[in-house]
Amino acid sequence: MAFNWRKWNAAVHRDLGYLCFGLTIIYAVSGIAVNHIQGWNPSYTFERERTNIGPFKVKDDVSDQDVIQILARLGEKRPHRSFFQKGPAEVDIFFREGNATAVNLRTGDVVQEMAKPRPLLYPMNFLHLNHPKKTWTWMADVYAVSLAVLAITGLFILKGKKGIRGRGAWLTAAGILIPLLFLFLYI
Amino acid sequence: MAHTRKWRALLIVLGVLLWSPAFAASEYGAPLTLKDVTKVSEIADQPGKYLGKRVLVEGMVVEVCAKRGCWMDIASDRKYEKIQIKVTDGEIVFPLSARGRNALVEGVVEEIAMSFDEAVEYARHKAEEKGELFDPASVTGPQTIYRIRGIGAIIRD
Repeated sequence: MAFNWRKWNAAVHRDLGYLCFGLTIIYAVSGIAVNHIQGWNPSYTFERERTNIGPFKVKDDVSDQDVIQILARLGEKRPHRSFFQKGPAEVDIFFREGNATAVNLRTGDVVQEMAKPRPLLYPMNFLHLNHPKKTWTWMADVYAVSLAVLAITGLFILKGKKGIRGRGAWLTAAGILIPLLFLFLYI
Repeated sequence: MAHTRKWRALLIVLGVLLWSPAFAASEYGAPLTLKDVTKVSEIADQPGKYLGKRVLVEGMVVEVCAKRGCWMDIASDRKYEKIQIKVTDGEIVFPLSARGRNALVEGVVEEIAMSFDEAVEYARHKAEEKGELFDPASVTGPQTIYRIRGIGAIIRD
């Protein structure tokens, strides 16, 4: 019995397509989100709250105890991660998840900035931008190779007029020409 | 019934994979190659000596670009002082959660000379990013800043 390569080609395309579905959606959604990074932060939403706790006197440099007292005045119960005194009368207090509170010790003005990870988009961007590194880098490489295999096997799914020898050839050529055109325009 | 269980298990695994804190990465860009840390205060004192040179600096992350994660400021070993780490947009993205954590950053010291107009625009942009009111009078003339073009970083608690 002769080897039916077209049947195997279709099987590889089909099963790889199923396997890649999840990650393709994640990369597609994250890709659009990150493409428009000029106008928004695709991973976090921000809320800024301004308040005043009154002037706060410190002896010399701001200490951990001073920060605890400032947070008590604010009614803030979360423990702080660290703090940075950026000037004689200015201190930034940091919490987990990147939240920060800026305090002007002289005036007592406080700006609390709350950054909240966007549901779904945050983990999607996390994977798409390869923040995990390590094993995920290999996973992403396997996925990239799988996409190439999907593209190549996809060319040979159909025979005849709608296949790669007919309409498929024109559409494939257009798909190659579009990025080349943009390269020509922008480089 | 068994079919439903399988789907539920699959969803739980996917959920855990997507949300797991185990994904809390701490390495960005290229692996660090330098061993000796240069003090930020030394770079600030003698920028000409370090200009164009590859350095390794360490300090607390005190600010991160809120929109693109394309820069972060790290605190100096000297009080009130900090230095900016700039990376190419999209190549490295520093997360906001880095604020308050300790960073070890390798990169090349660069100089940015700004005309008065450029300095005003720069200050306006920084104020907008922080959601602060911008006072043009805060910029008094041309400015030269020294920053580090980041190549790789490790951020940890």
